[in-house]
Amino acid sequence: MTDTKNTPPFIAEYSTHPDFNAMSDVTFRSLVKNFVEKNYPDIPRFVQHRLSWLEVRPWYGILARAGWIAPTWPQKLGGMGLNAGKQLILIEEFERFGCGRVHDIGTAMLGPMLMQYGTKEQQDYYLPRILHGEDIWAQGYSEPDAGSDLASLRTEAIIEGDEWVINGQKTWATLGADANMIFILARTDKSVKKQAGISFLLVPMDCKGITVRPIENIEGHSELCEVFFDNVRIPLDHIVGDANNGWTMAKALLGHERVFIGAPRLSANALTRLENLARDNGLWPDPVFRDRFASLAMDLEDLTDLFETYLERLKNGEPIGAEVGVLKIFQSELYQRISEELMQISGSLAGIKKGDDNDLKHDASGTYLAARPTTIFGGSTEVMRNVLARVSLELPKQ
Amino acid sequence: MKNEIEDWEENVQMLTDSIGAVVPPDGSVSRVRKARHVGAGFDTNIWHTMAEMGWLAITLDETCGGLGLGLREATALLKGLGKGLTPEPITPAIMALRLMADAGEKILIDEALSGEKIILAAWQATPDSVDPSAGVSIKDALLYGKKISIEGGLAAHAFVVTTPHGICIVPKDSKGLTIKSTPMHDGTFTTQLIFEGVKTSSLACTNMERSLFEAQLMHCAYLLGVSERAFEITLAYLRLRKQFGVAIGSFQALQHRSTEIKIQLELARASIAAAAGAIDTGKSHRHCQMNAHRASTRVKMLTRLVAREAVQMHGAIGYTDEADIGLYVRKAMTSVGLYGPEYRLRENYMALREIQV
Ligand SMILES: Cc1cc2nc3c(=O)[nH]c(=O)nc-3n(C[C@H](O)[C@H](O)[C@H](O)COP(=O)(O)OP(=O)(O)OC[C@H]3O[C@@H](n4cnc5c(N)ncnc54)[C@H](O)[C@@H]3O)c2cc1C
Repeated sequence: MTDTKNTPPFIAEYSTHPDFNAMSDVTFRSLVKNFVEKNYPDIPRFVQHRLSWLEVRPWYGILARAGWIAPTWPQKLGGMGLNAGKQLILIEEFERFGCGRVHDIGTAMLGPMLMQYGTKEQQDYYLPRILHGEDIWAQGYSEPDAGSDLASLRTEAIIEGDEWVINGQKTWATLGADANMIFILARTDKSVKKQAGISFLLVPMDCKGITVRPIENIEGHSELCEVFFDNVRIPLDHIVGDANNGWTMAKALLGHERVFIGAPRLSANALTRLENLARDNGLWPDPVFRDRFASLAMDLEDLTDLFETYLERLKNGEPIGAEVGVLKIFQSELYQRISEELMQISGSLAGIKKGDDNDLKHDASGTYLAARPTTIFGGSTEVMRNVLARVSLELPKQ
Repeated sequence: MKNEIEDWEENVQMLTDSIGAVVPPDGSVSRVRKARHVGAGFDTNIWHTMAEMGWLAITLDETCGGLGLGLREATALLKGLGKGLTPEPITPAIMALRLMADAGEKILIDEALSGEKIILAAWQATPDSVDPSAGVSIKDALLYGKKISIEGGLAAHAFVVTTPHGICIVPKDSKGLTIKSTPMHDGTFTTQLIFEGVKTSSLACTNMERSLFEAQLMHCAYLLGVSERAFEITLAYLRLRKQFGVAIGSFQALQHRSTEIKIQLELARASIAAAAGAIDTGKSHRHCQMNAHRASTRVKMLTRLVAREAVQMHGAIGYTDEADIGLYVRKAMTSVGLYGPEYRLRENYMALREIQV
């Protein structure tokens, strides 16, 4: 998809990667600001929902060509290698300009997991394809009866000759209609304990036997999909790790998902909106509002400091395990609290639906709705608290 | 006194029974689902039914053709309509009638009561204001300024605009009036009026503040209905949905949070009942206003809590358009900020509290 030969000079200018982390914050911020202002294509801005692939593709392409598509990946693998502070600056500047969110399941979840558990061949094949936007990934974990109780999943894969044959149903697959690849958890041994009979498979979405049905969400968008598998055949090597060992990969990937959700990005975006709205509607000098704002702003900065310690641990190869819940729970709940404050100060206009006919820059309702599922997906707050209590606090089981 | 109590209790019972004409007793919201963003965002046939039932006339004085009932009855009605997510803009219509009656406007009252004309109050100046006189001015019998957040305004024939001098009645096709309607997440539209020298005559009106806090209270009864029903739906789901081999309602984490809703719900019911009772038994203006602000604040906090928990406890299904709970969540999020956000109500409450009596 990305054509490096025809890279316009204004993008090429950015594609030699200095050590971003060594730059001063001021320098890095103006670099990002410049980059966005020069390069953001003519696509929607200031939208809370995910843009469709058709819409966001030009922006993905520009980021890919500049080598900016994977801010958190190490530079030697084609990322920017940013630390938490620099990530936040990048986020803030993207948000200030209202950049659309690019399809990021590959960069945020699958990529990091493959770096850990993929074979050399898988890494060499899939990672560049993610970086170039050749593969757009969806996540096929959940099923209608396997939500929080993920390990009870029933989608099944059996070996026939040199192929896996998959039957079953996944649901709530974000970007399922845009993706050309989906990673799934499938039951490959029914005779053992739930967690012990699961494999992690990589499935092209254009396989015969796959049907995708979009689900309209509460905002009227169809990012979520049901995916049906009817005798879908894939080669045996489309597996990460060993057969029946998929739970290890599943958890590792969830770990990356939780770090991603636990990053200050979403709360930072929302807080920027809150400040902008308060400045626009005259509430900014109000001492009562400022007290509430200060408390949210401090929460965000503390979260960023905490996030930095997690990144350090990851960089040093230390396992994070159940402790990732601390980050994920606090971030998602903070995001929701900020979004509720946005709603509160939007008063009687809080329910306005962003549409083509209104320039709803602060989009309180969109932020409110977008914040809801962050305490549900990637492990619900309740389930993560259960795990924290048992594993981290070593409290007895019920 | 005893008779009076029995009277209103009987009235409330009768009204509650009659709500079935508009809100299906089986809890179905398919009419409301289909009405979203169609036409004016509500159904004018249902509007006529409501007029026939006398609901618009509920708090209007009998001398003006009203039923002369109190806020206890009106809040019971609105709660019932809230349970069914009724999108018809009954509160601003009742408020408009109360204002017109005080100003001695007879003909339009009759047309409004019959359902022939939809006439709505336009009182709000900015998204968080609760001052009915703000936002507009009159110079040489011409009206200037802006009113916002009129529910159902897309279908209105005329607006009763509150001004620093009383009210102005502004027909929708008045010269110098611009009407702008924007879609809301619940499928209704919010309407904004811009007056650029609309020719008008100002009518003296003494009950502007009073009609506003009555409307506030009716609106929060509506929110209470929305919250009650959303909570019922959520409890039913907690009993039904199984994960880890058991109903999710058996998890203590969810039980404790459900009981928190129960606690807030009871507080809200008590607060609204007291506020309505204060008005109906003729308590002082300041007392009634403080009580209305307090009840509104409580109900709004409840509504926000229920909306939050309803999605969370439903998991992903609560985030779809298909599930009815999502309709309640969207109604909650669009309606909770009407008639003043909590911080403004608290501020007003404190100002009133300081007044020496
Ligand atoms: C916007 C969105 C995007 C998503 N994207 C994807 C995706 O791309 N791929 C994918 O595979 N899945 C995706 N999901 C699904 C998500 O992972 C599930 O929603 C999640 O695992 C919860 O499952 P559930 O929805 O079935 O809720 P349930 O498991 O039915 O839970 C309902 C409620 O019960 C609570 N609960 C459950 N168990 C316990 C317990 N033991 N103790 C206390 N409380 C409990 C839950 O916390 C929740 O509040 C997405 C979901 C949403 C909303």
